[in-house]
Amino acid sequence: MNKATLQKVKERIEALKKLPGIGEKDFSKLLEDNGFTRRDFLKWSAAMAVMLGLPTSFTPLIAEAAEVSDRLPVIWLNLAECTGCSESLLRSDAPTFDNLIFNYINLQYHETVMAAAGWQAEENLKEGMEKFKGRYILCVEGGVPTNMDGQFLTMGPHAETGLELLTRAANDAAAVISVGTCSSFGGIQAAAPNPTGAKGVYQVINKPVINVPGCPPSAKNIVGTILYVILFGQLPAVDNFNRPKFAYGLRIHDLCERRGHFDAGEFVEEFGDKGAEDGFCLYKVGCKGPYTFNNCSRERFNQHTSWPVQAGHGCIGCSEPDFWDSMAPYEEPLANQKYASPLADATADSYGVTILTVAGVAIAAHAALSAIKNPKE
Amino acid sequence: MKINKKIINKIEGEATLKIKGEKKIEFVEIEFWQYREMENYLKGRHYMDALVINPRICGICGHSHLYATVRTIEKVFNAKISEKAEIFREVTTLLEIVENHIKWFYITIFPTQITDKEYIFKAVKFSSKISKAIALLAGQFPHNSYMVPGGVTCDPTYMEIMRLKDLIKEIKEEYIKEIMDENLYSKDLSKFFENLPKEIGKGLNKFLVLGESNIFKSNGDYKKITEEKNSSLSKNALYDNEFYEVGPLARMIVNENEKIKKIYNHYKDSIYTRMCARIYEPLILLEYIEKKLNELDLCEPSFIKPDVKEGKAKVSIEAPRGSLIHEISIKNEKIEFYNIIVPTQFNLASSRKKPSPAQAALMGENIEYTDSIFKCFDICAVCMSH
Repeated sequence: MNKATLQKVKERIEALKKLPGIGEKDFSKLLEDNGFTRRDFLKWSAAMAVMLGLPTSFTPLIAEAAEVSDRLPVIWLNLAECTGCSESLLRSDAPTFDNLIFNYINLQYHETVMAAAGWQAEENLKEGMEKFKGRYILCVEGGVPTNMDGQFLTMGPHAETGLELLTRAANDAAAVISVGTCSSFGGIQAAAPNPTGAKGVYQVINKPVINVPGCPPSAKNIVGTILYVILFGQLPAVDNFNRPKFAYGLRIHDLCERRGHFDAGEFVEEFGDKGAEDGFCLYKVGCKGPYTFNNCSRERFNQHTSWPVQAGHGCIGCSEPDFWDSMAPYEEPLANQKYASPLADATADSYGVTILTVAGVAIAAHAALSAIKNPKE
Repeated sequence: MKINKKIINKIEGEATLKIKGEKKIEFVEIEFWQYREMENYLKGRHYMDALVINPRICGICGHSHLYATVRTIEKVFNAKISEKAEIFREVTTLLEIVENHIKWFYITIFPTQITDKEYIFKAVKFSSKISKAIALLAGQFPHNSYMVPGGVTCDPTYMEIMRLKDLIKEIKEEYIKEIMDENLYSKDLSKFFENLPKEIGKGLNKFLVLGESNIFKSNGDYKKITEEKNSSLSKNALYDNEFYEVGPLARMIVNENEKIKKIYNHYKDSIYTRMCARIYEPLILLEYIEKKLNELDLCEPSFIKPDVKEGKAKVSIEAPRGSLIHEISIKNEKIEFYNIIVPTQFNLASSRKKPSPAQAALMGENIEYTDSIFKCFDICAVCMSH
């Protein structure tokens, strides 16, 4: 990261500052009202910089980017979903800054948190899309049903299908972010036999889409992606599934707190055994950490309180495409998949089965060897 | 006769009301137009998969779905679990109820009368603390899978329990100070009713509690539940071929809570009584959680391996919005059949022959109160049309 980049970001923020904000309240006043000091805010900014993989010299710029976050309008659509992603964002991590900032972003339309309802809400959406044409960030939560012309999801006073609404909103968006596994890859509704023909956003619109998968994704990953767009005015570097590398660059397994036990061949053989009490590796009770790219083991959930592996259940691989079928059964190691679901084979080859297989074979071999070393009592 | 179509959103999804009447609601139909066919993906899968899939029915009350799923599978296996595991499960499930009620009050229903973002922040403050408390045991919230047939996967130390107890104490104290006290005084509730009559929104005055729970007694047998299709993509749930109201108000009335009974005697099952019951319930639950955590013996096992068996089972638990029913049939370790009946199917049923609790509450009322009355049932649209 050289001086030129730093300069470019500075210019970008200056340009954003000139745009009108929503202007309800001054940012520092908002912090004060919520019992935060400037120091807390800078601490958060430093943590964000680290998470985004930026040098600490970016800390003040992150702080500035957060302060101008109300200049970029965000429209958030809820399609076929459970609202878990909004929930993750809105309640789990607050009132840390991730959340505060999200509430302070110029959110033109969000079904759950906006004050308007019914016809008024519809008006807000229309107005937001016209007023900020070509400038707004479109966040989508939920899969897109496509069977029967998308009629498994109709919404709004004009009985528009989810697919129609999405296409309309995506056309004029500056950036499209798929929040959660459903909008990224179809999610739970796309599990075999996929009765509603649910698909990910990138499969139904003709535009670059950033996927922030997870069921639900952590608030940090969602806010991180939005902040990145604000900072650089462009989409972050992504992997082959269009996931931002700063969050999905490493496997859960790589930084797992139980990794030492894996290397030492110390496994939980079944829930409730001595190994479980001692916090051994959960691979043999179905942990999909070795196949899953995400930062849960580093960033955790709910104000860094815990994450599923800490609570003794393996990772289920929720940020991988098609995990409902390819990672099941969730309490069995992938290597000895006994109960393949009806469509698992058909879908597996469309999603980089080779990566899974190579990793799978190596890991299964390691686990098998350790079983010889530590026979089950 | 003109039919007025009204869209209700901000209810974890969307509902369409077809209202007959100009000023007063003469008749109303409730429609839900999302559908995901959740039970269909479960067929043919390993029974353990239900534990991961079912919570995804809903991001708001998914933990209750997890609890119901694990209890249903255990009933098939005839599994025994330790007291400790039972306490953990109860604590996290009840915490979810508390969290849901707070969020419903400030994010769902409050804006129908008062639009001020401050209240959304207030809900977020509480719910984040509660989520943190759940995460101490369950790993994360929403969507975790720490309950498995035979117990729980976590094995917390005294350190975590100490933090948990401390958090619960803090939540309870703040709840009493900022939301509602033991005498049912609530500044925010009074503010909500400044321009809204308290006696509107009377339902069917028939209450049902089905869940097997240690706190609430039940007054029915969930084998008598049937489902019927209605005019939209959702299904109605009936008990003995009749509509009943489920949820906090039903729990308070069936359990003869004196404080709520007093209000009920005055206002009957109106919007005010229904809201009081829902806002008061967390205090009872938090007290119970504190009591249970003091009975905890950490030396007990977290998990006792059950014998895998084949068979069928049906279980009902009390979820935030009322009685939730899960039914399973397992053969060869695979799911042969799964059916889920959610509380919203009772309260928000829609029929042209006889009114459901929500239809009854809306009919005869001024059209401008529609939003408030409808939302006082705390609708979960994503669950409704799972």
